[in-house]
Amino acid sequence: MSQFRAKKLDIGGFINTRNIRDHTKRKVFAENEAERNALRFIIRNTTLPQRVRAQAQLELSKMHCYTRFTQVKNRCIMGGRGRGVFSDFRMARFQFRINAIAGNLPGVRKASW
Amino acid sequence: MSVPRSRILDLMKTQCAIFNTTYNPQRLRLGSRILHQRLKGPSVASYYPPRIGTIAQLRKLYPEDTFIDEKEEDWVEHLNVARSRGKENPKKKRTAAESKKLNKRK
Repeated sequence: MSQFRAKKLDIGGFINTRNIRDHTKRKVFAENEAERNALRFIIRNTTLPQRVRAQAQLELSKMHCYTRFTQVKNRCIMGGRGRGVFSDFRMARFQFRINAIAGNLPGVRKASW
Repeated sequence: MSVPRSRILDLMKTQCAIFNTTYNPQRLRLGSRILHQRLKGPSVASYYPPRIGTIAQLRKLYPEDTFIDEKEEDWVEHLNVARSRGKENPKKKRTAAESKKLNKRK
């Protein structure tokens, strides 16, 4: 959603719409995490009155979908791919291979025995 | 050898005070699990590398130095060439009357 997007491009690496969108979602999630956790706490706390908990449930469901962690997806920072991404290297499998062979990833070397 | 329950509860109370957890002998669902979780927002938000080393950032950092932006220079040169050939962009119309004139000519 464009209301959350940064007015100026603020990420480096590979840039496409999906990466920018995912970055926006990450930022929105980080901003609203405390609020979400507070609401989740109220909902889970069985000692609070039922009415308060139900209201908290409503509030949580009313929050924007970008504030949800399930919206975030690890994407390749070198090629923008959404599949086959190694989360340790934040890279998809082929970009990982290229960079590993080129020696850009410290501690990674091609297996040979 | 059985230990009285009150003694176990006392032990639990001390444990909770030491390890900073909620004393909850009735095992009620208090949701404190959620408050104990670490916030993952900062690490999630810093997944993509930041954009650094742009000319605008360099100019801001070192105002006394001059940085040449080749793309910008090319663009300005192209604009100057277009202006010399009389192919520049039309002036922005500031008032309603000016923009009306244009419509009449059509």
